Amino acid sequence: MASVPHIAVIGGGSTGIGIARDLSMRGVDVTLVEQGNLTHGTTGRMHGLLHSGGRYAVADQKSATECIEENRVLRDIASHCVEMTGGLFVKRPEDTEEYFQKKLEGCKECGIPAEVVSREEARQMEPHLAKDIDKAITVPDGAIDPFRLVVANAASAKEHGARIETHTKVTDLLVEDDEVVGIEVEHASGAGKHVHGVEGGTEEIYADYVVNATGAWAGRIGDMAGVDIEVRPSKGVMTIMNIRQVDTVINRCKPKGDADIVVPHETTAILGTTDEEVDDPEDYPEKQWEVDHMIDTLSELVPMLEDARTIRSFWGVRPLYEPPNVGSDDPTDITRDYFLLDHDERDNLQGMTSIVGGKFTTYRMMGEEISDHVCEKFGIDAECRTADVPLPGSEDFSVLRDYMDEFGLRSPIGRRSVERLGSRADEVLKTDGPNPTVCECEGVTRAEVQDAIDQSGSDLNAVRIRTRSSMGNCQGGFCCHRMANELYGEYDELTTREAWDELLQERWKGQRHALWGQQLSQAMLNYAMHAATQNRDNDPADGTPIDFSAFDNGQAVTTGDDAGATDVATDGGQHGD
Amino acid sequence: MSDAESNIDPADGTDFQPTAPNTGEEFEPVDVFPDSDDFDLRPGSDSCYKCSTCDTNCPVAEVDDEFPGPKFQGPEQWRLKQADGEHTIDDSVMDCSNCLRCDSACPSGVPLGQMHNTARGEYVSEELNTFSIEYIRNRILANYRTSAWLASKFPRTSSFMMNFGPVRWMMDKVLKVPKERDFPEFATETFQEWWAKQGGATGSRERAREVRERRGEPVDADKKVAYFHGCYSNYNTPEVAKALVNVYEYFGYEVVVPEQKCSGTPMFANGMLADARRHAEVNVSSMSDLVDQGYDAVASCTSCSLALRQEYPELFDIDGIEEVSDNTFESVEYLRIHEDLKGEIEAAEVDGELAAEFGYHAPCHARNQGLERQAVELFGDLEGAEMEDVGDSCSGISGTYGWKSEKYEKSMKIAEDMFEHMEEGTESEVGMTECPTCAMQMEHGTGYDIRHPLELLEAALIEEN
Ligand SMILES: Cc1cc2nc3c(=O)[nH]c(=O)nc-3n(C[C@H](O)[C@H](O)[C@H](O)COP(=O)(O)OP(=O)(O)OC[C@H]3O[C@@H](n4cnc5c(N)ncnc54)[C@H](O)[C@@H]3O)c2cc1C
Ligand code: SF4
Ligand code: SF4
Repeated sequence: MASVPHIAVIGGGSTGIGIARDLSMRGVDVTLVEQGNLTHGTTGRMHGLLHSGGRYAVADQKSATECIEENRVLRDIASHCVEMTGGLFVKRPEDTEEYFQKKLEGCKECGIPAEVVSREEARQMEPHLAKDIDKAITVPDGAIDPFRLVVANAASAKEHGARIETHTKVTDLLVEDDEVVGIEVEHASGAGKHVHGVEGGTEEIYADYVVNATGAWAGRIGDMAGVDIEVRPSKGVMTIMNIRQVDTVINRCKPKGDADIVVPHETTAILGTTDEEVDDPEDYPEKQWEVDHMIDTLSELVPMLEDARTIRSFWGVRPLYEPPNVGSDDPTDITRDYFLLDHDERDNLQGMTSIVGGKFTTYRMMGEEISDHVCEKFGIDAECRTADVPLPGSEDFSVLRDYMDEFGLRSPIGRRSVERLGSRADEVLKTDGPNPTVCECEGVTRAEVQDAIDQSGSDLNAVRIRTRSSMGNCQGGFCCHRMANELYGEYDELTTREAWDELLQERWKGQRHALWGQQLSQAMLNYAMHAATQNRDNDPADGTPIDFSAFDNGQAVTTGDDAGATDVATDGGQHGD
Repeated sequence: MSDAESNIDPADGTDFQPTAPNTGEEFEPVDVFPDSDDFDLRPGSDSCYKCSTCDTNCPVAEVDDEFPGPKFQGPEQWRLKQADGEHTIDDSVMDCSNCLRCDSACPSGVPLGQMHNTARGEYVSEELNTFSIEYIRNRILANYRTSAWLASKFPRTSSFMMNFGPVRWMMDKVLKVPKERDFPEFATETFQEWWAKQGGATGSRERAREVRERRGEPVDADKKVAYFHGCYSNYNTPEVAKALVNVYEYFGYEVVVPEQKCSGTPMFANGMLADARRHAEVNVSSMSDLVDQGYDAVASCTSCSLALRQEYPELFDIDGIEEVSDNTFESVEYLRIHEDLKGEIEAAEVDGELAAEFGYHAPCHARNQGLERQAVELFGDLEGAEMEDVGDSCSGISGTYGWKSEKYEKSMKIAEDMFEHMEEGTESEVGMTECPTCAMQMEHGTGYDIRHPLELLEAALIEEN
């Protein structure tokens, strides 16, 4: 084929975005569509562990080996998304010595650096570990921010010419003579950046090839062309603690089991998780006992979790895939490996390949493999460069600086901002105007929020995942309206209100499973402010804008001799203010 | 080091105490940031629901727009902090006067005082250049006891020299100690010298026994207190310390004056935690021996009693610290608990110099111990004296805070309300407070003579006899 092929990628999770970056860096023309905002699917609902591979070192060594390889690559190309916390596999007295030894050997076999540490050493690293643990194995686990990573991949793909459409849902595949020739999509709000209230519409996007990277939804895309993709979605719960009780990833050293890991993530620690098959990746039960179980079981490793404050819980579904002939009963037995399903070879349907299974940690490797596959089809001979070229934000940078002098920011706020922005810090934070803190819990300033709005339009949830604004302990109590306020000006009042409500709804949703103790106090205060002070549950101004000029001027203030000349401005300020 | 092991079952959800910090009894802060003095206080921010009550109570935030306030300083800063040793404390922590109003105002039990003190300690040991003038000046101010000891050797010369024009000018310029301030006068005889002349503990015991006999109480009654006088009443206002001894002996208590160093209050406020710890070790060791023998500790300075009661156990892990903390009281509070002080006062009368209308200011650290109404309630019944509460503003000096040139203006601004109330609310030009540095500020701003409640008690109960 002489001209550059056009490839449509469906799915804006880590897998899809990794493919989009890879292909576009090889000079291919790419369009990626995502039904929500980036990370809308499983990628935005995962644990944030940059696997060392240790968790799979006994049962699934192929995945383990891939993990450690990619772990090394991501530390390099995505340094601003990764915190190398290190990890521990902790053995309690009731866990078997046999498995401990297997874990150790497994790690060595897969090339994962692993060492045994005594109880004392482990507790020196992590003072809040239970006093009665036996010992532990250290591994190079890390923490990774999925939002930042996906956004950086998208930015890089765009730099290389890719078209990325969020809030755009594939409603059908265009099939001609047993060949997929494109996709039919519905835009929630016009092409380009998502702006509330902008009229959407359908579009047919023709493509030379379609890649289905919709994870747990892959079967539905398959259905559109009559092919069967046996994804077995399996749900898992994660509970977010208000602070980091541990600064290292803590794994329980025993064969598969629920509630066996704590990952320090930014300002928080995330407890996880469970593994239970569900029918529908979008509609499954979320139960409080799952959260309780998480806290109870993990308190065996870190006792202070028992009383600590949780700010939120959320569930995600794994896009597990099992080749038709295996037939595992228990979802924990299903491999974590990924599969490339060429529908031509498999179902005699040309023009489309699906990629299913896998891990967030191996997203880049999956992207490389599928890009190789696509390039081969079109006879393109281009090297994969995604392992060598750092992502935007991860180019050479240092977090060690004087934030007050450089950006006028208090040190913890400056530090957090620079950690999030990486090499983009100067570009974003050096502003002439005032730069107040918008989100106090996470230390996010106006400049960073404005930068995110520039990238993503009026979607405040997209601003949230880019900045962490409203993700701290007040869960948006004190900052949602400030974030909305940042929209106003560029966007009108109605757009702003709609975006604000959407953010509030999203913030409240995750707190349903954290309503006891301290987070309940927080929720009560938030409710008083959101529903009462801010009238968000029943605002007469919603819908039609208020005509403020219809109000009278209030009581006139008479000052001495120029009585009658006084007039109060409708904005509440005195004339001359 | 210990874990937060707990017997609370979150499942039944009934043990949640909205006012108890979740760093409560079960939780001991752990030393995760290497280099001693540093505790991990991140769990303390679990209790904060961001209501901002602390901010609205902070006297510094009220006058200083640059100061980010206690909510940022405490729970927010700690939560944003990371244990990687590279996360630095913001320099604004040095603008906090450590008045601890935020600590008592917080409805949710966030350990704000502990957070500020620890952050300040970390800031000073890691950020502040130890050759800087600020560091040297703060260290001199914090170690007031050392300077006071030197000065007391030559009290008259010292009082003169410290306030001698050219010397003050030098201090302002070089050490940045404001020239507007008058240094306190040094007494010609320290309390300790006087105490030795009284026969020390043995003398006190004999006198106490006589009193008990006269009062018809058992001669062997278990009435004994260990007096923590602090530096100021030793070197500068021994009349307060003497009043304490006289009043306590009047009620038949035996007083001992154990070996003691500075309580550490000025050191906490200046982030000199290592210095504070050295002094605390001496204080705790001598006090805990006495507590074991059945003594209670009393202090005439509210900051000293606060240090022993609250700040010590929050910041240090020293043997016996909890027992000392549990058995320490402010001196008038103690008598109100154990004696019929009210009855005695109702029957008494003052005349002479102390028959006056006092403008009473409650020190912030007294508030922290719930003592802000004590003097007003007690002396309201005293014939001859009148008490006028001059409002709940902070005096603004907060120990050493107002002794720094860059803080002088703010310190005076914080105190504006108090000065105004003193001048408008009282006829006689006398004031009253428990705290020696508040007294300095009150005198500095109004020229009033400032007395301690113990002095009035002494006048009411003893001198008339
Ligand atoms: C509880 C849990 C914890 C996990 N923890 C970890 C971990 O710690 N480390 C790790 O490496 N991995 C982890 N994983 C695995 C990892 O999250 C997933 O493997 C990975 O995120 C999958 O990414 P994806 O892009 O394939 O799928 P997704 O992120 O789900 O992306 C698919 C996207 O397709 C979109 N889509 C679907 N249908 C349509 C349509 N019709 N039109 C347009 N778009 C559509 C969806 O909106 C979605 O955004 C975890 C998984 C779970 C469930
Ligand atoms: S008063 Fe207490 S709960 Fe309220 S913001 Fe301050 S520290 Fe937080
Ligand atoms: S101790 Fe006093 S000055 Fe410091 S933050 Fe608290 S209220 Fe403000």
